[in-house]
Amino acid sequence: MENAIEVRGLTKRYDGRAVVNGLHLTVRRGTVFGLLGANGAGKSTSIECMLGTRKAESGTVRLLGQDPGRNRRALMERIGVQFQEGDYQQEIRVEELCEETACLYRNHADWRALLRRFGLGEKERSAVRSLSGGQRQRLFIVLALIPQPELVFLDELTTGLDARARREIWQLLASLRDQGLTILLTSHFMDEVEALCDEICILRRGNAVFTGTVEEAKAHCGCTDFEDAYLMLSEDEKGENA
Amino acid sequence: MKRFLTLLKNEGKLSIRDMNMVIFALIMPLAVLIVLGILYGRRPAFEGAPYSFMAQSFGALCAISICAGGLMGLPLVVADYRERRILKRFRVTPASPALLLGVELTVYMLYCAASMLLLTAVAVPVWGVRPGGPLPAFLGAWALTMLSTLSIGLMVGALAKNSRQAGVIASVLYFPMLIFSGTTLPVEVMPAALQRIVALFPLTQGITLMKQTFLGLETQGALTPVAVMVLVTAVCTGLAVRFFRWE
Repeated sequence: MENAIEVRGLTKRYDGRAVVNGLHLTVRRGTVFGLLGANGAGKSTSIECMLGTRKAESGTVRLLGQDPGRNRRALMERIGVQFQEGDYQQEIRVEELCEETACLYRNHADWRALLRRFGLGEKERSAVRSLSGGQRQRLFIVLALIPQPELVFLDELTTGLDARARREIWQLLASLRDQGLTILLTSHFMDEVEALCDEICILRRGNAVFTGTVEEAKAHCGCTDFEDAYLMLSEDEKGENA
Repeated sequence: MKRFLTLLKNEGKLSIRDMNMVIFALIMPLAVLIVLGILYGRRPAFEGAPYSFMAQSFGALCAISICAGGLMGLPLVVADYRERRILKRFRVTPASPALLLGVELTVYMLYCAASMLLLTAVAVPVWGVRPGGPLPAFLGAWALTMLSTLSIGLMVGALAKNSRQAGVIASVLYFPMLIFSGTTLPVEVMPAALQRIVALFPLTQGITLMKQTFLGLETQGALTPVAVMVLVTAVCTGLAVRFFRWE
């Protein structure tokens, strides 16, 4: 079976500066992949180039074996996306946002059941803007899962969630992964990465400085704590966490 | 089709919840109708005219909602969705620009139709306004005016960088057209030089044609306004779909 994501030599420049520099990565189907790095390291830009919402200067991307620039609509039936800054119509309600998203896909999930699974069953009729930050975050994960995707991108997965909600989300995602879903996520929480990710890639100023498993990262740095290893790897030459 | 109808239902609900268009496209034309009705009643348009002042104004009143929807509502909602990154979210779904623009276009067409029906429901029984010409001719002129004006709005919305830019362009188009194209001020009372300038607005052509067809007047030279409006519609819609910006 082909890989879910294959990125080869992806480079994206803004004003001549490489924000993503020759990125290679491979995500096997049915695994969780963590794209890590400090703010501004190029995580979101990498994701946008993979999805084709930004045009890379060079490199190739294959999502589920296909070029996201071609036959895009058929490919997007099979992919779910949660952007870092998702937004919504000012007055829209939870059920309307879900319905509007579901109607775009041929084989969509039962979004009411998804809302219940993510603890939003009572909020169907609420305005999205009246939700708390954590509830909204969960809603956007629900939206990404509505297509019943084979591959899902989750940018800043659990930002704004409390400890219990994060644990619940991890369990839900792990069970979806066990059913065959491939997940690419970004996160600033290393406990989350350790709990969920089968493989990671750490970016530093647009360059991939480590690719492998969490255990390999720890061994590579001689650390027992993954967060220490992450900080060591993602820190740049000046010692700043840029 | 189900996609389209679901989006239409939701976007329609959101638009009504927002109230702007309810005020500018439904209530405002009705208010102008009532004020004119109180002022002119069933009086003829001029001494010996075979039609009333109210009948003469009917076409222009139908254009108020067209103007509000096409030059304010439509461009602003599309630009706002871009600025709020709602379009960006749609971009990673199987939705096409044509689907999204088509849904928004239909929302504003429904406002225009609702406004016309509302005006008819009041003007006919209260002031005895009756079309003097064949109804299909008037409806054709109305539809063409609506489509050409909405297509301008669609293009502005699709191409504007942000909602501020869309707002500026919308105002620059909306207010001159509202004032000078015969929507509120009859073209006939303007100086000849101004008449020649405003004749370039597709809305002016549309209102003149609506007025003529409604009153059953001679529509000689109708070919020019029809051609202008068809051309504007085709060019603007084409540009909107071709150069649609998601972000």
